[in-house]
Amino acid sequence: MNRISSVEDFKNFRQRILEEKRIEDTRPCLVICAGTGGQASGSNDILRIMKRYILERSLQEKISIRITGCQGFCEMDPFILVEPGHNLYPKLKMEDVPRVINAAIAGEVVEDLLYNEPGKNVHYDNQEDIPFFKKQTRTILGDNEKIDPIRIMDYLERNGYSALEKVLENPQPDWIIKEVQQSGLRGRGGAGFPTGNKWELAHNSEDHSGQKYIVCNADEGDPGAYMDRSLLEGNPHAILEGMIIAGIAIGANKGYIYVRTEYPLAIKHSVIAIRQAHELGLLGEDIAGTGINFDIEIVRGAGAFVCGEETALIKSIEGRLGEPRQRPPYPIEKGIWGHPTCINNVETLANVPVIISKGAKEYAKVGVPGNTGTKIFSLVGKIRNTGLVEVPLGMKMKEVIYDIGGGPVGKVKIKAVQTGGPSGGCIPSDMFDIPIDYDSLAKVGSIMGSGGMIVMDENTCMVDIAKYYMKFLKEESCGKCYPCRKGTQRMYEILDDITKGQATLKHIDLLEELANVVKDATMCGLGQTAPNPVLSTLRYFSEEYIEHIVHKRCPAGVCRDLVGASCQAACPIGTEAWRYTAHIANGDYEQAYLAIRETNPFPSICSRVCDHKCEERCKLGQVGNRPVAIRALKRFITDNIDPSIYQPQRSSQKKKDKVAIIGAGPAGLTGAHNLSLMGYPVTIFEADSEPGGMMLSCIPEYRLPREVLTKEIDAILDENVTLKCNSVLGKDITIENLLNDGFKAVFIGIGAQKGRRLRLEGEEGEGIYPSIEFLKAFSQRNEQLAKGHVAVVGGGNSAVDAARTALRQKGVDDVTILYRRTREEMPAFYEEIDAAIEEGINLDTLVTPVKIIKEDGRLIGIKCIRNSLGEVDSSGRRKPVPIPKSEFILPLDTLIVAISEQPDVDSISPKGESELKIRDDGTLEVDKDTLCCSRAGVFAGGDVVTGPNTVIDAIAAGRKAAVMIDRYLKGEDLNQPEKPRAPEVYVAPCMLSDEKLDQLSRIEPPRAPVDQRKNSFIEVEKTLSEADAKLEAMRCLRCDLEFTQPKEEKIESLIDEEKVL
Amino acid sequence: MNPEVVQNILEKHNEGQDGLISILEDIQNHFGYLPQEALQIVADKSGQALVDIYGVATFYKSFSLKPRGKHLMSVCLGTACHVRNAPFIVKEFEKQLGIRAGETTPDREFTLETVNCLGACALGPIAVVDGHYFSKVKTVKVKEIINEALAGFDKIEIKTDQRIFPIEVSCPRCNHSLMDRNNLVDGHPSITVTASFGSKHGWLSLSCLYGSYNVSSEHVIPIDTVLNLFCPHCHAELISGSNCSECGAPMVPMIVRGGGVVQVCLRRGCKGHLLDLGE
Repeated sequence: MNRISSVEDFKNFRQRILEEKRIEDTRPCLVICAGTGGQASGSNDILRIMKRYILERSLQEKISIRITGCQGFCEMDPFILVEPGHNLYPKLKMEDVPRVINAAIAGEVVEDLLYNEPGKNVHYDNQEDIPFFKKQTRTILGDNEKIDPIRIMDYLERNGYSALEKVLENPQPDWIIKEVQQSGLRGRGGAGFPTGNKWELAHNSEDHSGQKYIVCNADEGDPGAYMDRSLLEGNPHAILEGMIIAGIAIGANKGYIYVRTEYPLAIKHSVIAIRQAHELGLLGEDIAGTGINFDIEIVRGAGAFVCGEETALIKSIEGRLGEPRQRPPYPIEKGIWGHPTCINNVETLANVPVIISKGAKEYAKVGVPGNTGTKIFSLVGKIRNTGLVEVPLGMKMKEVIYDIGGGPVGKVKIKAVQTGGPSGGCIPSDMFDIPIDYDSLAKVGSIMGSGGMIVMDENTCMVDIAKYYMKFLKEESCGKCYPCRKGTQRMYEILDDITKGQATLKHIDLLEELANVVKDATMCGLGQTAPNPVLSTLRYFSEEYIEHIVHKRCPAGVCRDLVGASCQAACPIGTEAWRYTAHIANGDYEQAYLAIRETNPFPSICSRVCDHKCEERCKLGQVGNRPVAIRALKRFITDNIDPSIYQPQRSSQKKKDKVAIIGAGPAGLTGAHNLSLMGYPVTIFEADSEPGGMMLSCIPEYRLPREVLTKEIDAILDENVTLKCNSVLGKDITIENLLNDGFKAVFIGIGAQKGRRLRLEGEEGEGIYPSIEFLKAFSQRNEQLAKGHVAVVGGGNSAVDAARTALRQKGVDDVTILYRRTREEMPAFYEEIDAAIEEGINLDTLVTPVKIIKEDGRLIGIKCIRNSLGEVDSSGRRKPVPIPKSEFILPLDTLIVAISEQPDVDSISPKGESELKIRDDGTLEVDKDTLCCSRAGVFAGGDVVTGPNTVIDAIAAGRKAAVMIDRYLKGEDLNQPEKPRAPEVYVAPCMLSDEKLDQLSRIEPPRAPVDQRKNSFIEVEKTLSEADAKLEAMRCLRCDLEFTQPKEEKIESLIDEEKVL
Repeated sequence: MNPEVVQNILEKHNEGQDGLISILEDIQNHFGYLPQEALQIVADKSGQALVDIYGVATFYKSFSLKPRGKHLMSVCLGTACHVRNAPFIVKEFEKQLGIRAGETTPDREFTLETVNCLGACALGPIAVVDGHYFSKVKTVKVKEIINEALAGFDKIEIKTDQRIFPIEVSCPRCNHSLMDRNNLVDGHPSITVTASFGSKHGWLSLSCLYGSYNVSSEHVIPIDTVLNLFCPHCHAELISGSNCSECGAPMVPMIVRGGGVVQVCLRRGCKGHLLDLGE
């Protein structure tokens, strides 16, 4: 390649390349990402196999390969994109490569390897149609897939250096600066200063020597952002082109690329690009014969976050200690070696050739006024589609998170997104309606920053995040000014105390005060923005701080000292799941039973119906395995151990104060039991003829056999407990009367027993039942209300219970569950839905009933409309939106409505006469810490307070109520400081080697065969065998050992979290 | 420590008048850390105070004043990795290696470090071991990674690894095959050319396996020697216009049978090569 000697020569050269390209290559092309992310995921291996296959079969004439930098959809690495069809084959394995190549040559696609929307059975032929890409505008990033970054020809073929050509034709700074000003481009590095204005200032700034510098800031220190790396790595010539133009505009003859040393590939590609541009005569002395000199040098940043601050960056380029200094003078006046220096971010410079080629007006059409153009974000963290996304500024946050990002991973809810890195803030999910632009983000207490978007879900602790950033900042603070050096240190210490349960509420005020001082009193951007993560989390997530400080709980299960073992922390009653699991592994089954029974009066019941929050939080599930089947292990124990081995600890002291408990469900029974153990005489008033509440009336026998239930209830009805059935609140008893009759305290645990209605005309009458009524009729009176064609509306456990019960009734032809969202969004247990489908129940999702159809007053069908999923609502789920003209009629004989329940408020407060406060949703208002109602001496818990909820949460409410009533009757303060509950009992480990652990998968309990169970009420889920139970128990990672191992055996590194975080 | 190395580095950097950071970087690249004696030499030669040099050396994270292990393991603790449980990965490395982050094992095999961000945020948690990136690292995989590093990432099973395959090449000038069936390397016919360096001149046989760096040669060729290669048939010098993307040395093109060009770096020991198919 010869050096270009004139602008004319340059023009002809570019023209020739563009023309040649048009005729030359018609072969399909395999595009593979070999950026840092791609290589980390094995794209080099895929590449080797591609080359091998092509070579061995001599396919060189039929197919070509392009190796590119990062294309953005990193989650899918390693992938191949086939041109011209844009077929995307994600997460490829080496053995799949030949099929992709053969199909590409034949002009076909390999359907089963194409991109598939997770959870849905749709594949996408064309990359453009994939939701991740569909809403993006990839003006800058889009070129990455077209360019092999080490080949300058690829860039030229994409019309690269055309902007430079335009500039060289008329190298007058005025028009260039004006063009950039008119484009509205704002600095992409964070602060959003208008680039054109900066250039104008730099252009006008002169010192006597005439020396000026342009700096490309690629010191992408913001952890979580990597678009600068991807641009420099994937399209280095675009950055060079931007720099040369900037140099001409401001009158600089030297440019520096200041790049992090952690980015070896970006450095390598930049070095190659600079060499190529030199060889072509586009860089160095006398560029394209115009007499313009401009050269670029690469300076590697040696790892200091503060060097993102421009005055520190300049010192670092000079080879000195990267401490910032006061401004003014600004670098524009006095920069590198005292000469005017203009610092632009990588992405800013990447926008420059686009502006010059397209023209400012065209450029400014994208985005919104004041925030023009596109911005690249790194969408990472707890989100389904991670990667780089480029969208017009002004797009709504929720479009990026849910439409492009695909929403949360699994069923957890997204809680917040952190933008702007350590200088930015956390934005809670209920504010995702804001447009993404410089000003809106600042308004909500965050910043644009370089474009990091770290998504956080319910398993992310916001206090921990604040602590993480403060730890980062205290280490990165250069130490030059005191408020930053000491302020970040002290803020970290306070946050650390909070996460360890050693803080008081006063610390929050102190933290806030300190944050404001640091903000006001520090010298550079690092210090001034350092408090943002603290202030924004305090602003939006103060309740999490309070949970840590007052209740010594980390709701996300992150803060080690408060969590202890995560299974135990996740359990509402603090069951030591790790402990009984460990006992099972050791074959010590009685000990296991005792560990279970200690906190739970209904272990056999919970071993069947618990929603096992312990398993959701199991560490094994978080490190890449499936969680231990804790509930199945509990079942193994309760099925095999005689409960009488447990002797509860009773208070020897008999108390005189009588306590009334209304409702014999899990909350009431647990409360009664615990109060009885404390020595209180307790009377339980139950409206039905038998105790058990929802456990009895609404959980079908195939899940919870009757004798299991009655056995456990009977066991806790002791001499201190009097049970009065058929006593209906509001009819036979009132709270007033109970208090007048000598009861010193009353606990209301009546549950939520009133089914919500569909609110459709004709919802009354035969054949249409609320699920709770339907299930009760069967469980209490053996009435079989379902017949013929049955539909159940709803997606929760009660819907599935009703459907499966209906299926087992005489005279039922078929059962269909109608749910308005998709299966993933159904709140029912996954395994229950599975079992229902196995039994032959139809599941029709994305359907809403709109009209009940009757003939002669008899139900004959239901008219439904199909939905598609629309925008995300406040629950973090997509709203079902009716599809016009998609109505259809489902012929029906029975309709069961299972769309949630609410408490029967009339019974609590007949005619509103009681002083008890009822919330708008019909639940009873209590103080959540003490369970006190608005009237002294009256407590409430369980579904009546929370709305429909789980058995284990009701048991927890009963336990808490007993403690509170005891304190109340003793005249003690109800609010007492809580302690973190870390594992205390040491159980010797009996674990598997890592290798073995990796091979084993979770053992699920066996189920009764479908044909045996679907016409009967035999129990569906069976017990694990002893061998399986032991093996499953051995999978436990034993998080408890971190806390209970004898001191001398502790591995130092394990106990000192300080070092790790 | 060899003072000459430091002298050479200083010479390369304008007698030490260039930026201190790049000088220290080169020193660290050579020794794996910054030896005190080296810093003293830099101070003496550049006229800067040792305390200022010490200041820079301790200010930036990538410098180490302590010798580091043979294998460098860096675990990313960037925000994206942090929220995806990277702290557990660090703990697991600490447990397996028996050291804390920032330390080196007593046998100098391993150094464990944490880094603020490696820029592969979408694939977290990320670990980089001896320049090899590992994405979505799970605790159960840590031991495997350590073992792999210990065995050496370049160690390949030539017979079983399907990523290794033979290439047949010919001279770009005379198009005569360069394959030598009498001289086997890796059990395959080798690519044999004439090599010269200094005053030496003799045959050099390269493995024809793409991905293998094994050679045999008439003379012992010291590492880092930049060679001149000639076609043994037409005796033309094999040279192309392009330079190695790894080390900047010139590269040698050879024509691949069936279409394509393979380029090999002329620096002995450099692993830079390119295989372009169908041009």
